[in-house]
Amino acid sequence: MKTFPFIYNQPKEFLNFLQPKEWADFLLGELNPRFSVTTTKAKVIDIKEETADAKTFVLKPNWLWKGFLSGQHVPVTVEIAGRRVTRFYSLSSHPNEKYLQITVKRQKGGLVSNFLNQNTKKGDILDLGEASGEFVLSKELPKELLLLAGGSGITPIHSILKDLQALNYNGKVTLLYFVRSVDDIILKSSIDLLEKNNQWLTVQYILSDVPKEGYVSGFLTKEILDQYVPNLKSTSVYVCGPSPMQTKALSLLEGLPVKSELFLLPGQNLTNVKKEGTVDVYLSLSHKTIQVKGERSILDELEEQGIYPQSGCRMGICHTCVCKKQAGSVTDLSNGEKSQLGEENIQICVSRAESNLELEL
Amino acid sequence: MRTISKKLNKEEIEAFGKEVDSLREEVMAKVGKEDADHIRFIYKTYRYTEVLGRGLIHFSFEPISFVAGTLLLSISKIINNMELGHNVLHGQYDWMNDPKFNSRTFEWDIVCNAHQWKFYHNYMHHTYTNVLNKDHDYGYNFTRLTEGQKWKPVHLTQPFTNLFLALNFQWGIGAHGYRVEYLETPKKLRKKKTLKDYKAVFFKKIELQMLKDYILFPALAGLNFPKVILGNLLANLIRNLWTYAVIFCGHFTENAESFTTEEIAGETKAQWYLRQLKGSSNLEGNNLFYTMTGHLSHQIEHHMFPDMPAKRYREVAPRLKEICAKYGQHYNTGSFVKQFGSVWKRIIAYSFPDHIANKVMGKRKKYLEPSIVLSQPSFQVSLPTEEKTISLT
Repeated sequence: MKTFPFIYNQPKEFLNFLQPKEWADFLLGELNPRFSVTTTKAKVIDIKEETADAKTFVLKPNWLWKGFLSGQHVPVTVEIAGRRVTRFYSLSSHPNEKYLQITVKRQKGGLVSNFLNQNTKKGDILDLGEASGEFVLSKELPKELLLLAGGSGITPIHSILKDLQALNYNGKVTLLYFVRSVDDIILKSSIDLLEKNNQWLTVQYILSDVPKEGYVSGFLTKEILDQYVPNLKSTSVYVCGPSPMQTKALSLLEGLPVKSELFLLPGQNLTNVKKEGTVDVYLSLSHKTIQVKGERSILDELEEQGIYPQSGCRMGICHTCVCKKQAGSVTDLSNGEKSQLGEENIQICVSRAESNLELEL
Repeated sequence: MRTISKKLNKEEIEAFGKEVDSLREEVMAKVGKEDADHIRFIYKTYRYTEVLGRGLIHFSFEPISFVAGTLLLSISKIINNMELGHNVLHGQYDWMNDPKFNSRTFEWDIVCNAHQWKFYHNYMHHTYTNVLNKDHDYGYNFTRLTEGQKWKPVHLTQPFTNLFLALNFQWGIGAHGYRVEYLETPKKLRKKKTLKDYKAVFFKKIELQMLKDYILFPALAGLNFPKVILGNLLANLIRNLWTYAVIFCGHFTENAESFTTEEIAGETKAQWYLRQLKGSSNLEGNNLFYTMTGHLSHQIEHHMFPDMPAKRYREVAPRLKEICAKYGQHYNTGSFVKQFGSVWKRIIAYSFPDHIANKVMGKRKKYLEPSIVLSQPSFQVSLPTEEKTISLT
């Protein structure tokens, strides 16, 4: 087969070249925007107002949806002003329910959370990825559980509670849900219903900013923990909430089996770095050399200069922005580690330039 | 090369550049949903014309539907190459963060490999526009277009070789690509990647294209396969002629200027803008015509702002024209017939030695610089082999 050495050796690549998936996606998409063979697309079939700044979106996914475990999150991609942006949201529904549900609270300065709350209507299509995450119940259910939620951190915990109900759990669960004010309680009716129907569940709302009669006020402290969970030592703990609350919880609960999940807005994991001067970044595929300061992620700094590499979650989860670094050193923003100088694949959304760089972009 | 533009001093050039920059910034700030919708509409049109075109070719029993199918397939290929491919590969839609429209992942329906094309077009041609010995697109290695290129008897054939190129344009584009990449590789690195390696990329793309157009689709028609082969051949031919015509109008019209490496040494951004203006020429027409040329009808705007979504050139053009008028700079534009005619006038004129060429091209009005005749022949007609290199001064 000397005539067609390539097709003979790599028939699969020839098939890909014919773009069968793109064709299928295009034609199916013309029939129904939710249909696809490559992307999990979901139609928004209902929107529920939870609080003044949080909404629950009920989603009908297409056949590519592989399901999830209670407590997991899913990448959600929306188009804002023509640009696709991805963020992760916990699924607040139970896996057995017919439709999926995410609950999104508007974050100050949050691009996607605000867009979803303001602009998304019934009938819109969202692109989803695969569900993932370790914030799930262990196979052997513990006898006693403490769930600590803060603000929108209730969403995966809500799903976990529903899961416990479905599993006919018979231990003891205490949910301490910290919110700013009574009006900020997300999924309240559903949680109240769960508490009413299940003997094993005790729910305590704790208002941290605006006190109200009939409700407990305060922050997460040792006293509050002792008050609601007297025999803390034999308890498994799940924590999900904003960063200060998590730090506090982890220090109070040292030595206990704690599972925690922290959702950061893109860019929140950056330490404040100030640098003098610039470093050169050579983009070897586009033959461009640009100067960056090395203060923020490479992705941010490239976009600032009008260069848009493909990207996804911007927090190091989805690996969409991975590219080969041919030379130079970067700092991993998630753990502050400095990389080697040689060739390696880096995620430019969570890497900061340390020295002159050569990237395959 | 003659110039009809006013010679500007340093301050004037910088002021010109500033105005162009602020025009760019203003328009780029508006880029958004409208541009995303446009490219998606183009993508849709490309897909539909291909389905319809191929369908009609396959199921035609009389000449009318066969011709309609062939025309639709040519339109599909033109859209794929021009408004979609060319612009996407320039990174004009990278900001959308959609792999369908991303310059890193896009591959087009032409025998030229997208990656190689990006090197010689986006980088070499757009950086060194019309610079002799640096812009490999200038005359595509065999067409003499200025007195800066030394005349050789072989140039007498260039009207015919150009006709041949027009008919086989995609092959010219593809074969051109891998050679430029090789020639521009520093000699030290050539050991690591030889001409053969670059060629392999081109040959792989050829194989994929040929299998698709001349084996797979004809085979699907069974015994009717000659009809499908003919349809694909004609569609590729029409696309070739169209892209040749549009692309040659971009830089080779009679008033488009050329430059030497000496002239561009230490060039500022403003001077670069000015060179893009003087080296490019536009075509006038309606919006459908603009789209079918992939907005290369707005070659001047495209060369100044290669990464701006192409449809925006329509709103940039009148304002850029005003800036040019203000600075006494010639804005080279005209109808397709007029511009293409002047391309051929130039191709024919410079196929002869200078004294005839200059007579045909008319009296020169004004010089930009005394033209520097290069000591070495700037373009070799024969294909460069591994030993021969184009000198880079």
